[in-house]
Amino acid sequence: MNPLRNLSVIRKLVQVAAFALLVYGSSIGAYHLADKLTHALPALSCAYDLNGSDICALIPMQHQMDHRLGPAINSGGSILMGLLPTAITLGTFLIFFIFLNKAFCGWICPLGTFQEFLYMIGQKLGLQRTENVDGKIVQHLRPVKWLILILLVFGFPLLTGMGYLNHDLGDPFCKICPSRILTTLANGDTTQLHVDTASTTTMVLSILADFLFGLVIVLSLTVRQPFCRICPMLALNAIFRKLGLLRLIKNASSRCDKCGLCAKACPMDIKEIHTEMELKNVLFEDCTLCGRCVEFCPEKDVLQLKYTVIPVFSADPKYFKGRNKAQKKWEKTNLLSRLGGSRKPAKNSST
Amino acid sequence: MKILKPITSLVLAITSATVIAAPDPGKAVTSNQPAKASAPAKQTQQHQRRPKQLTLDNAEGATIKLWKPDLTTIPLEQRHLKHGSITLPRTGMDNYHAIVAEKDWGNSKEAVIRYEYLRGRPSKHSPTILSATQKTTFEVVPAPIPRGHYHYYSNQEWSFQTRFKQHPIPNLPVVMETTNGSRVETISDNNGMVTIRIPDDFPNIIPGERDRRSADFSVSAKYQDNGITYNTMLSAEYRVDQAHWKSLSWGFAVAGLGMIAGGFIGRTRKKNRS
Repeated sequence: MNPLRNLSVIRKLVQVAAFALLVYGSSIGAYHLADKLTHALPALSCAYDLNGSDICALIPMQHQMDHRLGPAINSGGSILMGLLPTAITLGTFLIFFIFLNKAFCGWICPLGTFQEFLYMIGQKLGLQRTENVDGKIVQHLRPVKWLILILLVFGFPLLTGMGYLNHDLGDPFCKICPSRILTTLANGDTTQLHVDTASTTTMVLSILADFLFGLVIVLSLTVRQPFCRICPMLALNAIFRKLGLLRLIKNASSRCDKCGLCAKACPMDIKEIHTEMELKNVLFEDCTLCGRCVEFCPEKDVLQLKYTVIPVFSADPKYFKGRNKAQKKWEKTNLLSRLGGSRKPAKNSST
Repeated sequence: MKILKPITSLVLAITSATVIAAPDPGKAVTSNQPAKASAPAKQTQQHQRRPKQLTLDNAEGATIKLWKPDLTTIPLEQRHLKHGSITLPRTGMDNYHAIVAEKDWGNSKEAVIRYEYLRGRPSKHSPTILSATQKTTFEVVPAPIPRGHYHYYSNQEWSFQTRFKQHPIPNLPVVMETTNGSRVETISDNNGMVTIRIPDDFPNIIPGERDRRSADFSVSAKYQDNGITYNTMLSAEYRVDQAHWKSLSWGFAVAGLGMIAGGFIGRTRKKNRS
């Protein structure tokens, strides 16, 4: 299969370009990128990265809860005025979000890219991988991203602004976000990988952040997208997913029942893509619009990525055959097999 | 190396920071001497909405301008200046502004610049454009201005460029002095650039405890052209190195534990599946 006709390869190229732009943007010639592109990106791009070219929407939202809405409520001031900066951030966020929808997660996010490349490294090292996480675990993990969004992005910062919590809880998500450590380390800056002994709160948060970062690195070698499953940006994007112009459409056929390759291919283990037979729009809350389900659907036009009403990529038996073959070829070669080890590709390796 | 003696008689500092008394021209501050006049440094206010106040020593006869991010200027007059203190007027524009004070002695000219963040509506202009623009004949330009979540911290290296009429000046002695009494001397490279590690010179630091003090540093240089001596100074605030209460080695250790846990979780899950 021609790699340039392989959607996964095209996506990897976009991811690498987005990573370079978002993590190193202002250091590669375009100085105005240091002023940040949107200040409300629907992907985890960190403000602690001096060379970064944008910051994620969760950063201003936490600050606005802490410094605008919280004090406005506390002082009996105008709540509308307190909400105005958040409305502006949300408006900017939506302007960008509408164009790509949740593809910001699957195509743009630097942390998502990092995890995918680690998984590829795991593949090439011949580590025993888990293609599909157990359904029960997936179900248990799903509410976590909503909890993080409600508590760490909005709740604690708001309570801090209202004076109920100490100032160290003004931006708690940033304090545990693995993207902060990743993007600064990617620039040779080790200052964000620390244990902060300034207060009990900072110590707990910094330990949690470092632990989570280490955990994500190792888990990513064998499990697809471990942090994405609990990412509050995925939850925020899920709220507005119906507004996006890019959509995942399913025209269920009678053969869908017996297949299920789409769910196996899904890096977020969304079984509903397979089991859903009624809905046309199958852009579920955990979907990152990576398009793998469409790639591995063997039935013509059953799954489609559509931009408004225009199909941009559709399931096709011929593409499926070529893609499946390319995937098997890719997985066949790994370090262990080259060294004469007996490790076989993962059970569901066709996807 | 030639010791650079005179710096400007003008000294610009933020009111809430420790302020050094104005050194006389020709009188160099020696290394590690304690700052002369200093009120205890106050905690840095990141989100203050009050008008910012700066102290400007020896301001008599000086021309002071406030450069907005869109490169328009506001002359600061007597009504902004009271007992050596300048109250920065609200510009209604967000982003970095430059306060430039100049003094003309005939055969010598002095200039002092300070970049301050003022709040307002989005300026839609890059602070890089402000720093790249000529605001006085001879200036020390931060390269880059620390912004966003970045500030000057002690023990960090930052770069500055010396520029005369927009041209970088190579091989020029440049001196950094802090209000905590430290002095660092260096020489600009072929691009007029100097990279200086800000001295970690806050006294009485308690290891492991957060320290919110701030102080000021200045980066100054002297240049002669057509019989006129130009003295210039960039003034800025710096904070205590966070490494005093943030441990990198513990950070690595905890991340290592996370990695071990990641490996353990992966193995357990595979066992269960098999």
